[in-house]
Amino acid sequence: MTRGDALVIMFAALLAGWSFTEFWGVQGPGATEVRIVSGNEEFARLPLARDTRIDVPGPAGITRVEIADGAARCARSPGSAGICQRAGWLRETGDMAVSLPNRVLIEILGEGEKQFDSINH
Amino acid sequence: MSRSGWLMLLPIALLLSACERPEIHTQRILAFGTLVEVSIYSADAELARTATEAVRQDLERMHRAWHPWEPGALGRTNEQLATQNEFSVDPSILPLLELGQALERRSDGLFNPAMGDLIALWGFHGDDRPDDPPPADAQIRQWLERAPSMAHIELDGLRARATRPGLRLDLGGFAKGYGVDRAMQRLRDMGIEHAIINAGGDLRAIGQPGNRPWRIGIRHPDGEEIMASLELRGDESVYTSGDYERYFVYDGIRYHHILDPRTGQPAREARSVTVLHHDGAEADAAATALFVAGPGRFAEIAAGLGIRKAMLLDPQGNMHMTPDMAERVRFEAEPAPAVRILELPR
Repeated sequence: MTRGDALVIMFAALLAGWSFTEFWGVQGPGATEVRIVSGNEEFARLPLARDTRIDVPGPAGITRVEIADGAARCARSPGSAGICQRAGWLRETGDMAVSLPNRVLIEILGEGEKQFDSINH
Repeated sequence: MSRSGWLMLLPIALLLSACERPEIHTQRILAFGTLVEVSIYSADAELARTATEAVRQDLERMHRAWHPWEPGALGRTNEQLATQNEFSVDPSILPLLELGQALERRSDGLFNPAMGDLIALWGFHGDDRPDDPPPADAQIRQWLERAPSMAHIELDGLRARATRPGLRLDLGGFAKGYGVDRAMQRLRDMGIEHAIINAGGDLRAIGQPGNRPWRIGIRHPDGEEIMASLELRGDESVYTSGDYERYFVYDGIRYHHILDPRTGQPAREARSVTVLHHDGAEADAAATALFVAGPGRFAEIAAGLGIRKAMLLDPQGNMHMTPDMAERVRFEAEPAPAVRILELPR
């Protein structure tokens, strides 16, 4: 084996090692944005870093989504049980609130390993 | 190896680094009147998107067909049953009728899909219950006197007839499980081997994401806290029924949607039941039947339904479970509940 061969092998090994950590390694942390779905369509995708309020129309009325201090919540929504509002402030990747009567889904998106792949409830 | 041989490794390494890695693609959709989460472990993101959309369309189609109060196949079946005349059953409904009859029989009547009118009396048949009081005792007594049951449907091939008045089917107790099973088959037909479909607590998982099992959290009935977890590999369903899913409070009393066909009232001996089983429809029905059974008849009813892995959280916070479930479940919350193992009768 010549020195050139050794260099090619070393380069290939380094490349494989880099590609593994880059593409297969642990993801960075952090919830970054909130996705709002109305019916079957994505209504909005907003950064959690910008405080705002948005009204989402649905078949039962208006669902109000509020973003503040890096979290989002369902501030107001039709539905007598108040299930959407009861989800509280959503901060972590995978957190969500749903208004079934108004067919609105609010979910937090971002990178990061979740403890569970799915929650049974 | 020659220099050219080593040099051939370089493009292979480059190709490997450019491959898309398999990852879990999770999408949440609104279908079947609930929130459905589809997680697909694949390197093909486009396939995951297409497959999730196919699942959504399938579930929506089934929901329309099997809604007891809308003009779909089940709605028409209910209209025909009300006449007590013989009629031809829609082929999409027939397997559900047969399965419903078998599940009611095997649960000793604690799972009863013929309670449509009782569910409507309580106002749990729509998406959003109006702010009404619970039904009057006289109304419930009237329903109990009729005691509609799947046994009051005569089936002869595709022909059917109700033998009693007041029989309205509501297949909500197991149709979602049946639908999730079919949706999972759709994913398999599309070449997907590793996936979870979770339709509002009705969950089926196949395969595994990489070299680890699927990790499933089970939520505590009182809130967002995860009380227990399960690891799933291969092909298993986890179904949970709880008193927190649909309820209303009237005059300080909480009324939930899991009704006891013996009393016409919400069942009061459980907070939640989780069933781990291979078949989604059976697991779905069993979660309801075991909730109604309470700790007293838990083992007997589980055995009748062929369920070996199940657990029940009672109103005092104690956990009752089968020996096989005890081997699989792991408690996540501190302190862990007191556990009582219930041996299944042979």
